[in-house]
Amino acid sequence: MKQVYICQDTIIGVFSAIHDAWMENRDDDSGIALRGQMMPKMFCEYTEVEENEQKSIAVERLIKKNLGYNAYWDIYHALLSDDCEKADAVYHTMLDARQIKDSKRIMEHLSNPHVARVFELSRKVGNEAHIFTEFIRFRELENGVLFSEIAPKSQVLTCIADHFTNRFPLENWIVYDQTHEIFLAHQARRKWVLVQGEALNTEAAGKISEKEGKFENLWKMFCRSISIDERGNPNLQRGHLPICYRKNMTEFN
Amino acid sequence: MTEIIQEHMSIYDKLNILSDAAKYDVACTSSGVDRQNDGTGMGNCQKAGICHSFSADGRCISLLKILFTNECIYDCKYCINRSSNDVVRTSFTPDEICTLTMEFYRRNYIEGLFLSSGILKSPNYTMELIYAALYKLRHECNFQGYIHVKAIPGASQELVQRVGFLADRMSVNLELPTAEGLKKLAPHKSRKNILTPMRLVQQKMQDNRQEIVLYKNAPRFVPAGQSTQMIIGATPETDYQILSVAESLYKRFELKRVFYSAFVAVNKDSALPARTDEGPPLLREHRLYQADWLLRYYRFEADELLNEKNPNFNVFLDPKCDWALKHLEYFPVEVNRADYNTLLRVPGIGCKSAARIVKARRMGILQFEDLKRMGVVLKRALYFLTCSGRMMYRTKMEEDYIMRNLLNTGEKLPDSVSGMTFRQLSLFDDMNFREAQVPEILG
Repeated sequence: MKQVYICQDTIIGVFSAIHDAWMENRDDDSGIALRGQMMPKMFCEYTEVEENEQKSIAVERLIKKNLGYNAYWDIYHALLSDDCEKADAVYHTMLDARQIKDSKRIMEHLSNPHVARVFELSRKVGNEAHIFTEFIRFRELENGVLFSEIAPKSQVLTCIADHFTNRFPLENWIVYDQTHEIFLAHQARRKWVLVQGEALNTEAAGKISEKEGKFENLWKMFCRSISIDERGNPNLQRGHLPICYRKNMTEFN
Repeated sequence: MTEIIQEHMSIYDKLNILSDAAKYDVACTSSGVDRQNDGTGMGNCQKAGICHSFSADGRCISLLKILFTNECIYDCKYCINRSSNDVVRTSFTPDEICTLTMEFYRRNYIEGLFLSSGILKSPNYTMELIYAALYKLRHECNFQGYIHVKAIPGASQELVQRVGFLADRMSVNLELPTAEGLKKLAPHKSRKNILTPMRLVQQKMQDNRQEIVLYKNAPRFVPAGQSTQMIIGATPETDYQILSVAESLYKRFELKRVFYSAFVAVNKDSALPARTDEGPPLLREHRLYQADWLLRYYRFEADELLNEKNPNFNVFLDPKCDWALKHLEYFPVEVNRADYNTLLRVPGIGCKSAARIVKARRMGILQFEDLKRMGVVLKRALYFLTCSGRMMYRTKMEEDYIMRNLLNTGEKLPDSVSGMTFRQLSLFDDMNFREAQVPEILG
């Protein structure tokens, strides 16, 4: 009977599930499913995974050691996507890596459907993260904190954290992921942290500083005046900057 | 008078005027330099550049593109800010530029500053003001993002050098492709005045490269290189002349980029082309950019793409397809044997896919399906390729035949070119009728 391990949709959750599946059933028919995102199938035995950080660290080490850092990078990014079969694809990629001579080259085997899936997801997340380094807009709150809201499909916060930490080392800033309800917070001169399980205080987030309105207006006007009317091409604009990203962008509000 | 206006003008109005006046400058790239923040200021740079927004004309907004002042002692015929135009004049102060740049950058609106200027009083005076603004931005505000600055032709060497150490990219506008055009439309500028600072920046960059080898922490001079731009369609130059100029700029001045700007008629002047309903020559600009890429990345020479007899680009086909059709004797090319340079010349194969082919064919013989997966655009490439000696379909190696098929799959052309603003829904197939006419139209 196929063993299916059920876990939460987090890196720790998936890695814990991989840990258990790997320890108990790596040579038999087994798989991983995400809680709340799966269709129960017949002839499967479902097991709830006990998630903890030790298991997660062990799997991380296992991947880095045997598949190399680049494969880990792809796997990590694939697990941030919003796909419901990502955990299974990663698990089977790891299983298939055992079959080939040089496991570190597993990501080159794009004809393997699991590897191709991981590769595709990783690229998707990477691209989305890049888009948010471009289109994130901060607003200054009363207490001087820069605050931004985004609605990404994937959990991109950890992918963009280093970029903004390096860019604004002396600022206090927060990025709020509306889709997954996670905060990315940075305190001046410190490392960034991820905050989960807190609700957004909409009242505090709505109190913008005195100058904020002025600069928002300046920016909106700049975006209008920099465009050449004779060359107007809204289709081209939409191609580069799809409507779905405009919701949280200052110049489109 | 101007002084009075300035006193009453808010930063909002100033930005409105001076960004509106700067919009005809083309370059808005923030690429070419990688720099990490040292932890004491704000900003960093990424080699590939980052676009932050796109304006209604579809161009990217990467930098805060403004003029320092739109006052100008020159009277260039094509320019909105020429001295004989009656427009509201104003100037920023260095403080205002710093505030705008820093506050926009903090909110992740922009990647840096693009500072150009009209000529206030004299080139040296203007350059001095620009230097003051950049110095404040770099040293007082500790801004470590991207700065693109215009070198003013006629400014002293020493000033250009000092500004170069503060900026990431410098550019001198060539304005018009030939010296005659310049004489006609920009009587106060001379070719020599424009090329002198360009040469200076080039030499200084070479010196700086050696300094950096010796002293790792020596200050960087224009690390993202220099660029230039010219106006297309204001003067009667041919595409061949323009492309040759661009080629010599790349070869002799080591420019990073040459930008082409389709002429937008903002002034009425007897020396300028009459204003028409057609709008700026965007397709011509597009073809020039395509050819520009062929020069920089595909190892083409200007003479191969165009010549005296055939001085303008084909409106229907991109320059690479056009070249391939005229040189059918080189094709078809065998994917599994042809060298990298030959592969690069095949329409539908780019730098990346050519490199992937060269790598992948070591592992095994390539088929057309493999090419597709590598990113080769087969609808264009299939007329010019064989895999193990076989073409993808039965194809005639005839110019007319291939041209007809390429036009069928090709890019979307503006309505003015295809001559079709609408199409009647018809039971009869009128597409082929049109295609049959295309070779006739082209002669």
